[in-house]
Amino acid sequence: MLTKTIAGLALSVAVTCAAAPAFSADLVLYDALDFSGKVAKAFEAKTGLKVDVVEPGSTGEVLGKIAAEGNNPQFDIVWLDGSAVMERMASDHVLQPIPGDVYDKAAFTDFGKSLIPASHAFLPTGASTTALEVNTKKVPADKTPKSWADLAHFAGTVAAKDPNLSGPAYQWLAGFFQTNGLDAGKDLLGKVLTVKSLSGLSSGGKVNTAVLTGNASVGINQDSAIFAKIAGGEPVIAVYPTEGSIALPQGLGISAKTTHMDAARKFIDFVTSAEGQAAMQDGDDTDFFFMPVITGVKAKPGRQTDVAFVHLDDKVASAHETEWKQWYKDHFVP
Amino acid sequence: MTVLHHEGAAAFARGSNSRGLSPNGLLAFIGRLCGPMAIYAVFFLLIGLPLALVLIQSVMPRLFDVQAGSTAFSLEPLAHAFASPRILQSILNSLELAATVAVTTTALGGAFAVLVQRCNVPLRGVIAVTPWLVFLTPSYLKALAWVLLMSSGGYLAQLGILPQAWSDAFFGLEGLVFVHTLGLFPLASFIIASALAGLGSELEDAARLYGSSPLRIWLRINGPLLAPAIALSIIATFAEVLSDFGLASTIARTSNFGVLTYGIYSATSDYPVDFASAGAQALILLALVLLVVLADRMLRRRADPRLISGRARPAHRYELGLWRWPATIAALAVVFLALVLPLLAVAIRALSQTLGQGLDRSNFTLVNVQTALSLGTAANQGLLRSLGYAGLTAIIASGIALLLSARLDRSNSLMRTIAIGLSLGAVAIPGIVLGFGYILVWNRLPGFRDWPFPHYGDGSLLVTGYVAAALPYCLVVILSAIGQLAPSLTDAARLQGAGAMRRLLAITLPLVFLSVVTAFLLTFIRTVFELPMSQMLIPLSGPAAPTLILKLFSHDQDGLACAIALMAMAVAGGGAAAAWMLVRRFMPKRGSNTRGDNVK
Repeated sequence: MLTKTIAGLALSVAVTCAAAPAFSADLVLYDALDFSGKVAKAFEAKTGLKVDVVEPGSTGEVLGKIAAEGNNPQFDIVWLDGSAVMERMASDHVLQPIPGDVYDKAAFTDFGKSLIPASHAFLPTGASTTALEVNTKKVPADKTPKSWADLAHFAGTVAAKDPNLSGPAYQWLAGFFQTNGLDAGKDLLGKVLTVKSLSGLSSGGKVNTAVLTGNASVGINQDSAIFAKIAGGEPVIAVYPTEGSIALPQGLGISAKTTHMDAARKFIDFVTSAEGQAAMQDGDDTDFFFMPVITGVKAKPGRQTDVAFVHLDDKVASAHETEWKQWYKDHFVP
Repeated sequence: MTVLHHEGAAAFARGSNSRGLSPNGLLAFIGRLCGPMAIYAVFFLLIGLPLALVLIQSVMPRLFDVQAGSTAFSLEPLAHAFASPRILQSILNSLELAATVAVTTTALGGAFAVLVQRCNVPLRGVIAVTPWLVFLTPSYLKALAWVLLMSSGGYLAQLGILPQAWSDAFFGLEGLVFVHTLGLFPLASFIIASALAGLGSELEDAARLYGSSPLRIWLRINGPLLAPAIALSIIATFAEVLSDFGLASTIARTSNFGVLTYGIYSATSDYPVDFASAGAQALILLALVLLVVLADRMLRRRADPRLISGRARPAHRYELGLWRWPATIAALAVVFLALVLPLLAVAIRALSQTLGQGLDRSNFTLVNVQTALSLGTAANQGLLRSLGYAGLTAIIASGIALLLSARLDRSNSLMRTIAIGLSLGAVAIPGIVLGFGYILVWNRLPGFRDWPFPHYGDGSLLVTGYVAAALPYCLVVILSAIGQLAPSLTDAARLQGAGAMRRLLAITLPLVFLSVVTAFLLTFIRTVFELPMSQMLIPLSGPAAPTLILKLFSHDQDGLACAIALMAMAVAGGGAAAAWMLVRRFMPKRGSNTRGDNVK
């Protein structure tokens, strides 16, 4: 009797859940970018193709999900900040190289072309970089830091993201060592990041919170996050260090096992078109404030684009990734 | 009335089977075997297997390697975990925090339960409903609320009523204990209250007639009788704190206080995932919890008392006299700190434009609330989805827990210990790890990955995951109630020839109905806000509310996130309250159907 009941229970659960069948979409998109939903909607309206947008959380959580899915991936397209991680997924054959003709169709600016990886692991759709987030209520105008070296005056009040938890933060750390020199860079960080509760933060949002309401007067943060805050009326400014900045591309990658290559191509064509770019700017969160890489597209008002970029030596960055992340963890993470 | 033990004539009769092995007898025997097997299979699929797949990677680190999976055995990950000063420190931190909070929470929750159940105090209704409302608030939201309140530029500092030293102390062990205790005391209160409800007052009355003081009665009679519930509460809160991720990722993270769950989280959120490290830390976490459960079993090697018989009467309430005022004020202080203040912070944040401008009049706006209330938005769809999933989960989880409890209550104490250990282990495993295990089972394991139901990427697997996350709680709540039933009740019905299902529905269920409803509502409310599962098993059809709320937080739109969370709490709370009213109205009265006369 009890057995029958359990069987009945299982059956009723099955029926209930099956009552809401999943319609298979034409394209499954995994992402951690603010504008994906808007872009997907505009794409659906234009092409009639259905896109399932899956956003498990932060970039790290998307990567964790993709890693867990391993050799049975459920996504067709992944769209994230960061180039190094795309390269890793491509070398594991989780992603397939973007076909050359797809790049040729897009009207990239020179800046955009400079972001295209030799491996074709991903297609750049925009970029941002790391800047100094300065709270103007806490730091007088004449004391505003201009360079990484100036941070020495703010020892103990600088908020930073942990590169172990944030792809963009590792990109910053590798670039910082490249522009400041490894030993001098380590030395400077050791002097500046003296409070672990401020230097081991997990997201740009937490850096914002620390700068706006916490013990930090300066934050090391993604510039688009700072511009979004400025647009929202918060008392902060973005300062690009004189040593130079490393570009952080938004990359779009295609799953090695996708069965929807045609839809994926159409989606990329749309993203790199004027309409797609407009959808990518139709909002006021962090990622909408990207630096455009397509000819004729202007950034959102208030977003600085005249940044002195330095090209990151990807080989050095990925060769030392484990070591430098560990070093950061040992010194600056609670 | 006597305190019955598992051993005895009734128990003996339960185990005996007078029929020989006729074909009918054989069928009945197989049927009897199938019942528990089916239940244990459900248990194994829901919790055991996903957990095992995560844990096994601590000794087979390359099992799920993308390039070339291999079953090579290696002790390296565990050795690495124990050699790492960081992981060792996080183990110590987790233990210190969990042990402290288990005691403070059980004390507060127990006091609350006694006050509400057994004392006549003013404003009893307000005080009684608080634990439910506290439970309604997801831990990540409470944590955020307290960060908004306690950070050095936060609301309390802006009001000038927060000494800097307090703010500093808050971001450390003291603050974590404080917020955890205020957030978790409902769990302790529910467990102890359901035991108190079944206690009856015959023994107490007898002792009072004998001239014992109330204090002596509580120390010598009620205390020992409540010991199993108190122990359960300690273990459950201990496990809950060990596995908590909401506070670990907010307060603990911004203080120099690393805990195990955060280590597991950071190992599982990168590409490639450090499977080995996550597995090793999860194994350590589970081992810690199992040790506590076993220690508890070793300490209490006697049978649990069984008190609810056909003759039990509800207890009377104490009159506290003048003491009722301090008791009420203390309870109201808890209500204020656990509920009013955090909700106020969240509401203020929902109604203000920016965080930095604080309590300035020009900073107030209704935009966030309007956005959250607009129909057809992503927020609304997510909320409706969550409510549907939560309702379904609550029905399934409390149903399974009832069947499982009834079955476990009949089995030996070793089986019960294993089941409780397993489910508490599941509580102790962070949802993010269990969710991870679910992906491995349903998307990677040959034989499972192509099943149409539950299917990875569909709502069906998310509900399954929710059920797994909720089952341990339901089990703890219902098992503690069923454990108090005297076997004589169902034995009498069995002698009358009532079948197992009939006995469960006609006798056991009415007697533990309140605890089943408790489990149901608990699950419903928790599931609406269940975060890790919602994130790991996000359906392709669209995210549930928690994923949306967290996404907004991580994208710095905490104003809108606070508004959505408030709305979700109002809807879930209203729904639960309505359900509760209905149940109270139609609830079977104790004693109306307990003697087996209706079972014919």
